[in-house]
Amino acid sequence: MKHRPTVGEILQAKGVSRRGFLKYCATTASLLALPPSMIPRIAEAIENARRPSVIWLSFQECTGCTESLTRSASPTVEGLIFDAISLDYHHTLQAASGEQAEAARHAAMEENDGSYLVLVDGSIPMANPGYSTIAGISNYDMLMETVKGAAAVVAIGSCAAFGGLPGADPNPTGAVAVQDLVTDKPVINVPGCPPIPMVMTAVLSQFLTFGKIPDLDKHGRPLAFFGNTIHDRCYRRPFYEQGKFAESFDDKGAKAGWCLYKLGCKGPTTYNACATVKWNSGTSFPIESGHPCLGCSEPRFWDKGGFYEPLSTGKFGSGAKVAGAAVAGVALGAVAAAAGRRRQAKYTKEA
Amino acid sequence: MTTVDGRHTLDREAERIAYKPPEIRHDKQGDMSTEERVDHAMHHFVKNFNTQIASYLDGCLHCGMCADACHYHVRTDDPRYTPIWKIELFKQAYKREVGPFAFFYRLFGFKKKVTVDQLEEWQHLLYDSCTVCGRCSLVCPMGIDIAGMVSMARHGMFKAGLVPHELHETAKRAAETGSPLGITPEKFEERLEWMADEHEVDIPLDVEKADVLAVMSSIEIQKYPQSMAATAKILNAAGESWTFRTDGFEATNFGMLSGNTEWQKEASMKLIDAAIKIGAKTLVLPECGHAYMAMRWMGANMYGKPLPFKVQHISEYLADALNTGKIKVKKVDKSVTYHDPCQVSRRGGATQAAREVLKHLGVDFREMPNGGDYNWCCGGGGGVVTIKRADELRHRVFKLKMDQVEATEADELLSSCANCRQSFDDSQEHFSWDYTMGSLMEMVAENLEEQTS
Amino acid sequence: MDLLEFARGPALQVAVYILVAGTIWRIVGIVLLSKKPDYSEARGSGGLGAALKVIWTRAFTAEPFKKATLYPKIMAYVMHIGLFATIFLFTPHIVFFEGWTGFDWPGLPNSAIFFIAVATVVSGFALIIRRMTSPVLKLISNFDDYFSWFVTMLPLITGLLIPVRALFRYEDLLAIHILSVALLLIWLPFGKLGHTFLVFITRGTTGMVFERRGAKT
Repeated sequence: MKHRPTVGEILQAKGVSRRGFLKYCATTASLLALPPSMIPRIAEAIENARRPSVIWLSFQECTGCTESLTRSASPTVEGLIFDAISLDYHHTLQAASGEQAEAARHAAMEENDGSYLVLVDGSIPMANPGYSTIAGISNYDMLMETVKGAAAVVAIGSCAAFGGLPGADPNPTGAVAVQDLVTDKPVINVPGCPPIPMVMTAVLSQFLTFGKIPDLDKHGRPLAFFGNTIHDRCYRRPFYEQGKFAESFDDKGAKAGWCLYKLGCKGPTTYNACATVKWNSGTSFPIESGHPCLGCSEPRFWDKGGFYEPLSTGKFGSGAKVAGAAVAGVALGAVAAAAGRRRQAKYTKEA
Repeated sequence: MTTVDGRHTLDREAERIAYKPPEIRHDKQGDMSTEERVDHAMHHFVKNFNTQIASYLDGCLHCGMCADACHYHVRTDDPRYTPIWKIELFKQAYKREVGPFAFFYRLFGFKKKVTVDQLEEWQHLLYDSCTVCGRCSLVCPMGIDIAGMVSMARHGMFKAGLVPHELHETAKRAAETGSPLGITPEKFEERLEWMADEHEVDIPLDVEKADVLAVMSSIEIQKYPQSMAATAKILNAAGESWTFRTDGFEATNFGMLSGNTEWQKEASMKLIDAAIKIGAKTLVLPECGHAYMAMRWMGANMYGKPLPFKVQHISEYLADALNTGKIKVKKVDKSVTYHDPCQVSRRGGATQAAREVLKHLGVDFREMPNGGDYNWCCGGGGGVVTIKRADELRHRVFKLKMDQVEATEADELLSSCANCRQSFDDSQEHFSWDYTMGSLMEMVAENLEEQTS
Repeated sequence: MDLLEFARGPALQVAVYILVAGTIWRIVGIVLLSKKPDYSEARGSGGLGAALKVIWTRAFTAEPFKKATLYPKIMAYVMHIGLFATIFLFTPHIVFFEGWTGFDWPGLPNSAIFFIAVATVVSGFALIIRRMTSPVLKLISNFDDYFSWFVTMLPLITGLLIPVRALFRYEDLLAIHILSVALLLIWLPFGKLGHTFLVFITRGTTGMVFERRGAKT
């Protein structure tokens, strides 16, 4: 077996200073709400980690999750760390293709049986395996085969976590989520459309450090990043409380940075770290840029009412059905009144 | 102010009447079976459930504000005297029989059928403790006419044979003889002659054609016969073509008070027929409260079409006559307070008439606190004064009246209803009170100015 | 479908259908009963003007009755005005109505609404305690009175839980709140809460009948 360098050795070789590395560990500890005493432990864990084998499967996806992850203006520590993982299989990023690529996947699976990580992005079509195949293999077959020896599965992005866009009404491909199919291995959902890059790497770092699945919420999302709603961490919250809302895009309120609730913001029901961690290394997030939150880290967010429909908009049923109810009311009332009058007439006759 | 009778010192502070609830006595008429009584009650409740009544019975919020307006509740704190509670059986019958959800009320037993025990218990509530004064109807935030419905509930009670004994007997006597006190036409004629003689006034009787038909209440004929003379004096001074009629002279309507709609109609039709017979343009009702309600507002409906004559309470007639100068009065230099009869003022809409008359009389008029349309009831109307077992209750509520009148410190107390007068007289005796109620009409009659026509 | 989608969707829809059908059933069932014609000579017109006048004036107690009814009257005013404000002047609710009617209007700041809602709940409890202790109210009250109070209080209380994030996650609190509103809408036409629409009929009718007589309304 060829020597597999530790992550620490790789970083050193790439010229990452110890200080830079420790700074990253400190940030990660902070993000995970861990005390400073944990920093050395994180550092040790990552440093000595043998580059774990990671197999990345891409199914019905737009590649946005990969794009998000690799988005960097200049190499970032995150990116390097990722390089430091043995990414043994990734459709988009790997050079190989075809039988060679599949052989690489099988080799990685055998060599690291029981300890490799499977990362999945994209949903899996169940209506017809032909909707999405790689090297002639259906997504379903590839997924079930690959997870057999996995230590854990991470569903990256809303498609893998919940079905995403393909799974939206009317779901022509019969798209399902990873957790719908994989029931015998731990599944961590890291949703978002796409997820925040730092969230993705922090989750992996956490797994590397502690070797176990982080605390998850009822949707299988790490509580560290999906434990609070956007609304509860949004910097525009005071405007919500004061009743100052933008009524339309680019109006006075919008320009003043007021709350976007009336423009359809799903912040109150969306759990994610956008409002604190933000995007592009903390540059901004949709609300700060003036667009209401789409709720993209929530299950079936495509079908939860229009993006520009405010959260409190109810569904009253069709006008026709309400009219039908009115007609029913008239009929019932008329029958009741007729019955009442008949009883009266009967008694009036009796006197 | 008259001097106080030293024998019976007046101590207003002491808890004068330790209120005992009246003896549990459930008067019954007829020998119907229990089922029959219940059926009759239900049927005759149901006859009243039209849109207006239905909306009232469906709209009650159980807010209890009506209790705060009712003199019986206010003076006893007995929750059973809450006005809407008095018609609870009536309401139950509505929801069970005619309401929009009646089918389900019956199916699931949400409202049980009324029992005879309940009906007996409610006899006291519907008769002894309600004068149909209508204060409750004014306070209700939903605008429910509770008082009106008490009258209607009595229809069921009558047909079930559950009317307080004295009231039933009085009503029966009225139906059989034409007068609640048994005053026959002959007796009426006799007393008219006596009054004509004593007061030296012409009193036409049984004239064939006349513009004005005047009628009296038996209470006046019997207890305050000078009213007949006063009426005559006034109508003569006004130069009216008028008459009394032996075939239609009784203004009271004990059918209405006891809850018998057939007797109510009979009594009204007597007067209507007499008025039509003589071609009257106006029917002038005497100083009687419920007579006004019975004829002015319910008469035409008994008749089945608009009446071909105007109906006026004597106070309205006096106001018109004084305003148009038909009669003139001397000024009376006294301070006067006025007790509004519930059925004429609050329920009848003629509140202002008496005040116009008093203005013409030039008195120092002092409105009672809570007077006018919000006046406290004398406690004897609606037939209550006939029910002996209700005497204690009636006396208990009279305190409100005494306080009200005394607050004005007026010389004279007047009203325009002989039943109120009777009630006041009885309570005056009971309490040795120093106010005696006088009659508005008599004051006018006594102070008529000779007209040089 | 999660609880929130159920609450906002089918639950609310069914509640609205029942509300509409039940309300019209009750009104029609009353209005189509017999009418008593009145042949007496009218003193006033007894027309729509009288009806409208009394619909307005009966919201206020006449002077002679004020003292005796002051406490429950104040509590009831706080309750009704508080309900009106929390329902119609809270922006997320206004947005709800805008989705339905297309009309929009300014709301109060959330903190003001919170305060008003708390005052409304307090008045509600004051009233129910009175109902359970006053001899008059104890006698005349029935299931309808207590249940109607409950379904009115529930949306207020569940609504107040949302800003304090008590007991459950936001989306579940919101779902429970909307379900409690659905319950209120379903019960409304059948019990005494029906006074929301019956009040116009009862006050209006009395106004017309009494004004026609020239009597005090």
